[in-house]
Amino acid sequence: MCDTCGCPSPSDNSHDHDHDHGHTHSHQSGHSHSKTVDVHASLFAANDALAKANREHFNEVGAVALNLISSPGSGKTTLLEQTIDALKGEIKIGVIEGDIETERDALRIRAKGVPVIQLTTGGACHLDAAMTHKGFHRLQKEPGGQDIDLLFIENVGNLVCPSTFDLGEHERVVLVSIPEGPDKPAKYPKAFTSSHTFLVTKTDLLPYFDFPVPEAVGDALHLNPKLRTMCLSSKTGEGMEIWLNYLRELVANKKAGKLK
Amino acid sequence: MHEISLVQGLVQQLKELAAANQATKIISVTMEIGPLCGVVVDSFRFGFDIISSEEELIRGAELKVNIPTVRYTCSACGNVLVTAGERPDSCPSCQEQAIFPEGGDDLILLQVEME
Repeated sequence: MCDTCGCPSPSDNSHDHDHDHGHTHSHQSGHSHSKTVDVHASLFAANDALAKANREHFNEVGAVALNLISSPGSGKTTLLEQTIDALKGEIKIGVIEGDIETERDALRIRAKGVPVIQLTTGGACHLDAAMTHKGFHRLQKEPGGQDIDLLFIENVGNLVCPSTFDLGEHERVVLVSIPEGPDKPAKYPKAFTSSHTFLVTKTDLLPYFDFPVPEAVGDALHLNPKLRTMCLSSKTGEGMEIWLNYLRELVANKKAGKLK
Repeated sequence: MHEISLVQGLVQQLKELAAANQATKIISVTMEIGPLCGVVVDSFRFGFDIISSEEELIRGAELKVNIPTVRYTCSACGNVLVTAGERPDSCPSCQEQAIFPEGGDDLILLQVEME
């Protein structure tokens, strides 16, 4: 139980987490005075336990959480700005911004008039469940932060490390922009095998780059046949309606109790 | 790069294990690093070397790494392929491309030798 509000997350300050440290079994080994302990515990267990608690917390407050993963500069923040403009009167949105340094992304989102907080990792290349837990508590103290239907967690720009860490999100969205090239799914498979949705962004740049969309989408579906794929441009608005309808459906499913 | 933070979590666990077993020195640590778990073995070793050199309890400890295989099952015919991690392009018996991996996606502390 969290000290801050009694949410399902383990406390930030103590070590009373409920993950399994594994079955330990020790026996004397051949080495004099030494003993060998069988542990068999996952190093992901601590993060996964916190992520599960985050998910329960999001469920308690009725929010759908999305974790956005991509390389730096693929258009995550711009997509969020356009999404907020389009859905602001309709869906209550909150945003947790993750970056290594600066409040710049949070300032851009705050200018759109929705609750937002910035997590700066100070060097770490990904967000983890503990940072997300603290971030969500901070977000809830922002004006409007008590009443969120749709929570965007914008991860640190990095197509590798964030894919290993569950934050407690309901849906994971991976983005690749046209200038990055179509080989990203094949080169960075875990971001695609662990995601629910794949967005090809900046499609307005297709005339200027060699980016065969069917190749990128085909490679991604080969890795993860259940992946939902969409192509859009935040700049021209092309394809945005499909993305917005996907978000509307997630929120509606959440309200109907169909999304856990 | 996230390997460093995973090693930090491992070191915390090693400290707790040593305290629970009244040990003052870790001699060896055996890890299972799944080929699909998103952890680069060389980066994990690099992180372990750096952090263990700063911790008296672990300094000089040997890191042993087991790498499990991955089972891929064809969604169409159920054919099973076991690989070192790489995904087969298609099922060799029916050419189906939808093949699902099983196992090899975890990072597990298996065994610790201490005194």
